[in-house]
Amino acid sequence: MREFFKSARFKVLLGFLALLVGIMIYAVTKGGYSVSAASFVNTVTKPFRIASNSVSMKIESIADKLSNADKYYEENQKLKAQIGELNKQLTEYDDLKEEVEELRKFVVIKEQHPDYIISQPAEVLGYIANDPFRSFTIDKGSAEGIEPFCPVVTAEGLVGITIDVSGHVSTVRTILSPDLSIAAVSSSTNADYGIIEGTVATAENGNTKLIHLDMDNELRVGDLMVTSGNSGLFPKGYAIGSVKSLGFETNGLSACAEIEPCSDITRLGSVVVITDFSGKNNEYGEENTESGEKEDSDEAENIP
Amino acid sequence: MRLKTSRERRILHVKTFFRWLIYYFLIIASFILMTSGTWLKPVLLVPIALCIAMENDLMGSAFTGAFCGFLTDIACGRLFGYNAVLLTVFCVGFSLVFELYLRQRFITYIVMTAAVSFLQCWLDYKFYYEIWDYEDVGRIFTGVTLHVWVYTVIAAVVIYLITRLINHFLMPKVHLTIEEVIQTN
Repeated sequence: MREFFKSARFKVLLGFLALLVGIMIYAVTKGGYSVSAASFVNTVTKPFRIASNSVSMKIESIADKLSNADKYYEENQKLKAQIGELNKQLTEYDDLKEEVEELRKFVVIKEQHPDYIISQPAEVLGYIANDPFRSFTIDKGSAEGIEPFCPVVTAEGLVGITIDVSGHVSTVRTILSPDLSIAAVSSSTNADYGIIEGTVATAENGNTKLIHLDMDNELRVGDLMVTSGNSGLFPKGYAIGSVKSLGFETNGLSACAEIEPCSDITRLGSVVVITDFSGKNNEYGEENTESGEKEDSDEAENIP
Repeated sequence: MRLKTSRERRILHVKTFFRWLIYYFLIIASFILMTSGTWLKPVLLVPIALCIAMENDLMGSAFTGAFCGFLTDIACGRLFGYNAVLLTVFCVGFSLVFELYLRQRFITYIVMTAAVSFLQCWLDYKFYYEIWDYEDVGRIFTGVTLHVWVYTVIAAVVIYLITRLINHFLMPKVHLTIEEVIQTN
């Protein structure tokens, strides 16, 4: 042993240890940065380490999958069920949100017209097949207090009138139909009266027509037409549509206008039925049914 | 056709039951299709009623015609019973013509269906639009009636194939005995 301590090998080793300690002390003084040599090694070996790490991670992953397959499968199933549940909740939430928005619109009707008695919002079941005037059926009927010849509206404007009412389904004739005439007045001038009555040509574009308008009317494009409420069939002052274009009848005796309904009648989702309002003529339906004739000529609104 | 055994009779009854069950399922499905959406659609119930009438007995055809007619009235918003009357007459006529004069061939069926559905569409146009003398009423004929008729004829091809398939599996085969063949000739 004494020989070893006295040998050159021991002195070399001591020197080497001293070098290492020196390097260590140097590294400490670098304040967190790598020593050049370490940095060089790191840089050179980096790509190999990346590749190696990648391979090892894959192998570990495969091994992990194989060893924990059952656990992951169960977890996957749980998560799938959770996603399904969340999706269902999301759909319900969207439906509720839509419903609330619809109801909010209809609440506005009630707020603006406290005298109206309106039905629950009615879903449009479907449009009558191949009807050029877009008649449709709704999911509310006599069981919900709806009667024939009740105005059908959306928050935006008048849509039509119920014509065929059964227990839980009603058919609605729209304002695009030539079989429904409504007395209307301009909301801006409150003087230009006319009759809203659909035609084949205007119905093709989802519009209706204002006829029997005075030649010297003051209507302008964009003016809003509202119900005049003369006959008691429709409430007074409810929006129908705005003037799209003005013109003259072919007979040259009166003016006319194309009216764009406030509600898009070709794509309705839900509507409400006004079952009662102040000034309603309750005898209309009975008289019309019994006699089978139109109302008095001084009342413009009629249903042939 | 002479049924010899009770087993043959039982098979006949079961097949007949399922055949009519599928016919009526097809009718209901067509009705639902007709009441969906906002586009112009073929009046599917007319070719279905005619196709059924072509290969079945008179009473069954008449009843099916009436049923399809009522459903057409509901789907198209027509006077309840109007199309029922029309289709009953058409189906009975169809059944008789094919029983007595015409062979059950595709070309005969499609020509006859085209004629009958045109008549149905034309009468619908006459009674529900032209008679009321609406302004520009001709536009309904060219823009709606003719389109619907063309769609109906196209749909009739598909309906023919479906009913042929049903009949292929569920229509009892006519097996004549030698005596019956001799008597027939």
